[in-house]
Amino acid sequence: MQRDFRNSALLIVGHGSTVNPDSSAPNLAHAADIRRRRLFAEVACCFWKEEPSMRDALLFFRDSSIREVYVVPNFISEGYFTQTVIPRELELSGRTTERATGQAWHYCGPVGSHPMMTELLLQRAVEVAPGVPEKETSLLIVGHGTNLNDNSAVAAKREVEAIRRLDRYAAVLNVYMEEAPLVSDWAKLAQTANVVIVPFFVSDGLHSYEDIPVLLGIDVGPGGSATDRKNAGEVFRQNPYHLCGRNLYYASSLGTDPRFAEIIVEQAEAFDRHRTLPMESVTESLVA
Amino acid sequence: MRRPDASVDWLEVLPCCIGEIRIMHRAAGSFTVSHRDDTGLEGLAVYRDADAAIELARYDDAGRYRSLKTAPNLRHGWLFVLDRLEQAREVIEHFYPGRAAAYQTWRSGELRTTPLRETLGRQTGMYRASAKISERQADELVGTFCRSDGGCLRTILWKRDAAGASPSTLLPKVKFDPEFDQTGRDEAARPLLCQEACNLLVAAARNVVKGGQ
Ligand code: SF4
Repeated sequence: MQRDFRNSALLIVGHGSTVNPDSSAPNLAHAADIRRRRLFAEVACCFWKEEPSMRDALLFFRDSSIREVYVVPNFISEGYFTQTVIPRELELSGRTTERATGQAWHYCGPVGSHPMMTELLLQRAVEVAPGVPEKETSLLIVGHGTNLNDNSAVAAKREVEAIRRLDRYAAVLNVYMEEAPLVSDWAKLAQTANVVIVPFFVSDGLHSYEDIPVLLGIDVGPGGSATDRKNAGEVFRQNPYHLCGRNLYYASSLGTDPRFAEIIVEQAEAFDRHRTLPMESVTESLVA
Repeated sequence: MRRPDASVDWLEVLPCCIGEIRIMHRAAGSFTVSHRDDTGLEGLAVYRDADAAIELARYDDAGRYRSLKTAPNLRHGWLFVLDRLEQAREVIEHFYPGRAAAYQTWRSGELRTTPLRETLGRQTGMYRASAKISERQADELVGTFCRSDGGCLRTILWKRDAAGASPSTLLPKVKFDPEFDQTGRDEAARPLLCQEACNLLVAAARNVVKGGQ
């Protein structure tokens, strides 16, 4: 049964961007979706590089009927942002921080660490290549790689291993933009006739519109697709690409999937489930 | 969004201006929200769904991404016609995210402001360097970056340091006055408050430090 969050608020924390208009779009869409479902008394977003800032969010939820605030980072993994920046900016001192008003702020795990991620990646792969036999298909999950204090590569590896264990695809592989195995080596890495590529990012942007397509060998046209608003996203609608003698299917970033909203709510529920467990059985998020 | 106390409600009296936006009563109990420049203009694109403001807030008239929502470059040509004042609040929240909460907190006398030096001193990672900005550089940077004509329409409430130094000697006194209409139109307007330096200013401070090396 779904928990009753009517006296609670949900705060979705995102990175945001000063250059990429699509960075915050999924956060706002997921928030609007969750708001429509009226699960929480209030649903708000805040960002590191956009408004409202995390500091602004300290002023939200002033209605005294809101006793609890669930803070869910829309990030792929634990890392510098979830362990240092968010706790500092939101003045969180542990898993639960009690404010002077008595309101409790619960710090939930990042969206990317939820077990449902595996299912979502699989659904995305099936949707981008409908009817394509999985046993003749390699599934490539794209991560950033080499990001300072970032465990997103670890998260991507964990997902690949989980999907591999299901034994559905001929091969399931990790590829990265900045470290080996490189996205650009996809044709060497994948042996099958069909190749499905899913970027394991929380939003679309230059990486998914332009950088990865270029690394894959897709012709994104003069100046790339991202520079032209109308064409942004066009690259996901031209599947399959016939490159290096294969059929290549390229998906948009996983975080644009509307089902991400469900996982955000799930992370708040997971917090409550773990709350009843003894402390030592809970993976403590490091609060620097 | 729940209705705040009337005493801290910035839409208590209509018509009302917030930043570059005007909110008005309309016949038959509905409300309109538009760009202040567009008041009374014909041929505006009419919206009834508050969430449409998310996309409108994202780009300026030339189609460029607006990295700072309180910058004086709100696009023109749209008109929200809404049945409920709550929807007008949602529209304003999309155009000026977080400003309603800052205003309410301020009106309640509970708004805590953070000196610039404290914000910079708290930074880690790539922004740690921002704390090294000199007094003269900070004075110049804030004076250009935050100025209402071309920079940002917020009213600055924070000080430069714990001793209470002015954010910038280059800014006019009215930049710190919540009664002043920062658009320069000299109408009664609710202020967009800045209780703490934004990440853009922190990033700009870092660039000044890095560029100076
Ligand atoms: S610090 Fe405040 S006034 Fe200056 S640009 Fe940022 S939001 Fe505007």
